[in-house]
Amino acid sequence: MAIIREYRIAVPREKIERLYQKLDLTDWPDELEGAGWSYGSPLADVRRIAEYWKKEYQWEDAEAKMNKFPNFSTTISIEGFDSLDVHFLHKKSAVKNAIPLIFVHGWPGNFLEVTKLLPLLAEAEDNGGPAFHVVAPSLPNFGFSSGVKQPGFGLKQYAEVCHKLMLALGYSQYVSQGGDWGSTITRIMGQMYGDKHLRASHLNLVPSLPPGPKSLLAFVSFLSRHVLKLYTPAEKAGLERSQEFQKSGMGYYALQTTKPQTVGYSLADSPVGLLAWMYEKLHDWTDEYDWQPEEVCTWVSLYWFSTAGPAASVRIYYESQRGEFPAKAGGYVQGVKLGLAYFPKEIVRLPAAWGPTLGPVVYTHENDKGGHFAAWEQPESIISDLKIMFGKGGGAYNVVNGASGYE
Amino acid sequence: MTDIRPFTLAIPDARLQHLQEKLALATFPDELEDAGWEHGAPLADIKRLVHHWRTTYNWRRHEASINALPNYETRIDVDGFDTLDIHFVHQVSPNANAIPLLFVHGWPGHFLEVAKLLPLLRASEQNGGPAFHVVAPSLPNFGFSSVVTKKGFGMAQYAETCHKLMRKLGYEDYVSQGGDWGTFITRTMAMLYPEALKATHINMVACQPPYRNPLALLTLGFKYLTGTFSEDEKAGFERTQWFEKHGSGYFKIQSTKPQTVGYALGDSPVALLAWVYEKLHDWTDSYPWTDDEILDWISVYWWSRAGPAASVRIYYEAVKGEYTAARTYETWIPNVKLVSQYLRLGRIA
Repeated sequence: MAIIREYRIAVPREKIERLYQKLDLTDWPDELEGAGWSYGSPLADVRRIAEYWKKEYQWEDAEAKMNKFPNFSTTISIEGFDSLDVHFLHKKSAVKNAIPLIFVHGWPGNFLEVTKLLPLLAEAEDNGGPAFHVVAPSLPNFGFSSGVKQPGFGLKQYAEVCHKLMLALGYSQYVSQGGDWGSTITRIMGQMYGDKHLRASHLNLVPSLPPGPKSLLAFVSFLSRHVLKLYTPAEKAGLERSQEFQKSGMGYYALQTTKPQTVGYSLADSPVGLLAWMYEKLHDWTDEYDWQPEEVCTWVSLYWFSTAGPAASVRIYYESQRGEFPAKAGGYVQGVKLGLAYFPKEIVRLPAAWGPTLGPVVYTHENDKGGHFAAWEQPESIISDLKIMFGKGGGAYNVVNGASGYE
Repeated sequence: MTDIRPFTLAIPDARLQHLQEKLALATFPDELEDAGWEHGAPLADIKRLVHHWRTTYNWRRHEASINALPNYETRIDVDGFDTLDIHFVHQVSPNANAIPLLFVHGWPGHFLEVAKLLPLLRASEQNGGPAFHVVAPSLPNFGFSSVVTKKGFGMAQYAETCHKLMRKLGYEDYVSQGGDWGTFITRTMAMLYPEALKATHINMVACQPPYRNPLALLTLGFKYLTGTFSEDEKAGFERTQWFEKHGSGYFKIQSTKPQTVGYALGDSPVALLAWVYEKLHDWTDSYPWTDDEILDWISVYWWSRAGPAASVRIYYEAVKGEYTAARTYETWIPNVKLVSQYLRLGRIA
């Protein structure tokens, strides 16, 4: 049985001091008149948050709050790489037969994205919903997990780490929730460990392709809807948003998938550089979420103070283009029941009719509000999905052997 | 004509000191084992260059060599924008009939790219060639010219700036040389000012297949179908594809989110160094950069009047509006003679 250690987040004093020294020396760019958000993060916003970061934000307070959650770490070996210390939250339910659930974050997200779900899950449990044991790791190169030293740590390896973590905790069968890289990684976990181990996945980023000719009815339906422009207003808006994102929102992706090291110097040496880089996504990818300066500073600090450093976090983009399981849209994965959540301000928001091309869909929820960071913006929606999907009568009820979610 | 003033560069000591303070706090990322150049600028190079910058690099030496050139500045009005101070180098030939030559730099280049040409152009007549007057501006948002404060300063505005500068210097007709943005700006000038710009020499030749020339198109088609492109042509295609697939991330982000990119470029000399140095390496043909040369280039960006963040806005503006960069190579431009040099592995030729 693996060794699970309690983990206490403790960023060294000198790291915190260096941040303040660098913030004090900040040189600001100018900005075009009336630029708004169309050229990137606006100057007034970034200055305001940086000022807060420097003068009012207390990392030690945020750290203390994080340490109130059940933090652990364990060592995981991946062939071809140095062994990794993986940090994670592990919130067990009092219900013995609770469903093991792994929550996988993405970029520029973090393990804390699970924390709004935890009290809501407990409440749902009290009100007749299924119970969960929740595991939320910091992915390697993120948060308080190790950095990867060797090239080639791709999505296959990320999937392997997540799977091995669940096994290390004694969960041979489990389910997953994820968006951003969490969606991609859990889908690959489905390809590698689906049915036998990963029994069901809830995704809030749905990278589907239109149904192809193999599914004749779906294909004909897709063609006629597309030709006759019969999409619902939500789907039409979603398609437009997806296209606009491809056109004007993919610069970071093109750069991070090709020159992560060059980008890394910016992210590692300039705190306001990192802030602006991340804050643009926090704004552009969400549905008018009212980010508080404290929240933004915590999200950015998790990158600035991460064990691997902020530069390492973008390597996943480069590695995701290569290896045995490169990132790609579409593909039917057997054996993993799917719950799909659609949010209007997701960066890629495709018609719900395309969802079944990804696998056996047992639940679909088209939301009126929310964006990319669904668990942070709309935690109630995620909880509601999990409750219905895994609860009695749900499409994924009792998928895990001996862990129905109920006593 | 009276407001063409000599220009002297003099970065205050306090700014040099501030740079040293930042370099002293430089925080480096790690690097993957055996990364080489695959992932971007290598860590060992950047650390070495930063160490040089902190210890043995002498900015005042380079500043003096810049000041040894004939630098001037003047005010140029561009329609719809605030008046700009344009810095430029102006080498006048003793031959009154010399050809006025406008030299236009790009990114991450600068006006000093003309420096190696100046003595050669000065000696041209003695060597049996024509005489030239040379004008090499810092483009707005670059080098020692003003920053642009309003949106929409694209290819047409850059063209207008350069044309008005030549006219202000008394050159009714002139010719041009340019690569990178210099190519697109001068070809835009060819579209807008064919009565003035008589010939353009470009060393980055973005173009389409010869649709207008049936014989050339047939030859091209034949070569494609039979795989009989020359070695140079094949190498060119490969390098162009490599650039598209692996080397154009900077273009995609600079043309969509220049402000976001700008924070790090303006705040971290290390970030700026890595960002530019990667291009100095990837875009050249084993050019033996010295550490001084590299830091000289980066310094012109770091000490630029507009600041490094402003320099990348040209990418955003050039893909919009009536005169996009793409329009210059999707258009047959009559009346302006074109000389193009395909450097074998130099750029995207």
